[in-house]
Amino acid sequence: MNPTYTRLEILRMLRNPRFLIFAFFFPVLLFLLQANVFATGSGPEKSSAVAVIMVNMIAFGAVFASMNNGARLTIERAAGWQRQLRLTPLSGRGYMLGKGLTGMLLALPVVIAIPLLAFLAEGVRLDGGEWTRIILGIWIGAIPFVLLGLLIGQLVTPDTLQPVNMGVSLAMGFLGGLWIPVDAMPDWLRTVSPFLPSYWLTQIGRGAVTTDLTRGLGLSAAVLAAWAIVLGALVVWRYRKDSARA
Amino acid sequence: MSNTSTPPAVALGGLRKHYGDVAAVDGIDLEIRPGEVVALLGPNGAGKSTAIDMILGLSAPDAGSVRVFGRSPAEAVREGVIGAMLQNGTLLADLTVAETVRLVASLHRKPIPVERALRRAGCEDIAGRRANRLSGGQAQRVRFAVALVSDPALLVLDEPTAAMDPATRRDFWKAMYEDTAGGRTVLFATHYLEEAEEYADRVVLMNGGRIAADGTVAEVRAVAGGRTIRAAVPGADAAALLALPAVTGCELRDGRAQIATADSDATLRALLAAHPGARDIEIAAAGLESAFLSLISE
Repeated sequence: MNPTYTRLEILRMLRNPRFLIFAFFFPVLLFLLQANVFATGSGPEKSSAVAVIMVNMIAFGAVFASMNNGARLTIERAAGWQRQLRLTPLSGRGYMLGKGLTGMLLALPVVIAIPLLAFLAEGVRLDGGEWTRIILGIWIGAIPFVLLGLLIGQLVTPDTLQPVNMGVSLAMGFLGGLWIPVDAMPDWLRTVSPFLPSYWLTQIGRGAVTTDLTRGLGLSAAVLAAWAIVLGALVVWRYRKDSARA
Repeated sequence: MSNTSTPPAVALGGLRKHYGDVAAVDGIDLEIRPGEVVALLGPNGAGKSTAIDMILGLSAPDAGSVRVFGRSPAEAVREGVIGAMLQNGTLLADLTVAETVRLVASLHRKPIPVERALRRAGCEDIAGRRANRLSGGQAQRVRFAVALVSDPALLVLDEPTAAMDPATRRDFWKAMYEDTAGGRTVLFATHYLEEAEEYADRVVLMNGGRIAADGTVAEVRAVAGGRTIRAAVPGADAAALLALPAVTGCELRDGRAQIATADSDATLRALLAAHPGARDIEIAAAGLESAFLSLISE
């Protein structure tokens, strides 16, 4: 991938205050707040509760960071920028892959910052395998959300971008158990939650910090992979339809 | 055409594009030689932008062929042979001018240095400014720099000066002119007839999806308007003047005649023979504007 292009794409998002607030500062602050307000008890019990919150907030940050970038595709289309790019050797596929890669890279800071804070400030101690599973697992598990963002970006107009993005984000956050950990969910929500990919993203990390209400790593990975395949197919289908119309 | 060593910069053959029932481009044949500066004129809906989109490979023709330097538009784009300023394009609000040009340069195989593109397009002074803080004219200059950065052999400009005030427009064309001294081929669509008269080697006039006239500015004027003879002709009557050779129209007011003619020499000789008293004779070429109006009203 072209480093200048990728660097400038990332720079564009980092200049966007909305992005920084929702995809970085908000999850980080929410983690610190919840870790100090809701994680009660002491010793290992508290540490485990903090770790559960940590996993949720990493997933929250990863979902928002990875989704947002792709959704902004609609702005580039409306601005005629996509047409301008079609006059360069960058192929349509290269453009989409670039957006996907940028989305993944943009998810990295929050996926690293929260565990770092948990370790340094909140005393969370895990072994290497558990840290790897949480950090790498949730980061890679963000792939379906990158694709979801690209799909939203292809389907909406700049006017409907905010409400659609907000609606999907709220669904992922509340119903998918990013903001309400599965432990605190009412029964109906525990039934609904597994229908959302964000539930499975938290499950990727959850199994490393607790044995309560967890699903197997393999199952979680498989469900996310299925989401990725379906969303990826929709992105490709929509992309082909779009370019055929042009 | 294939036996010459350099293929035409643009070669369109039987080009057609329909949108629903509307034939936006209805059979165009056009060949632009390397180094030509061609103005594409026509009213709104004449098919200019549709034709340009097909030359750029942004849309596919329903029928006919497009070759750019002997290649398909897609190949030409991949090789950086085409640079274009599209209509209604905007820039990315979150990048500076220099970053915008650098981004596009990074995608091309053999770009010119970003600084040179900025200088040629007259954007050096605004290089550090965010694109959303530019005036309409400045934004167009940046888009010109974006079009230039691949050092394209063919530059396509779709109404490049639409958002500019007259002074900015002049500066833009000056920059354009200096840039094309190196033999770049340019195709530009415009609404401003004076731009075509002043800057184009050749004018292609489109109307209703077809080419209505094609030639040098002088030729296009001649095809359509011919010339106008004005004279004081005492005692003349309009019917007699209309009967003179090559006359296409006549208006008579207070003894002064205004005669439109396809052959001013023949008309004038006959006029003087029939009316030796005719005086204050003026002959003027019809402007491109009247040519334009008469061609698109046909």
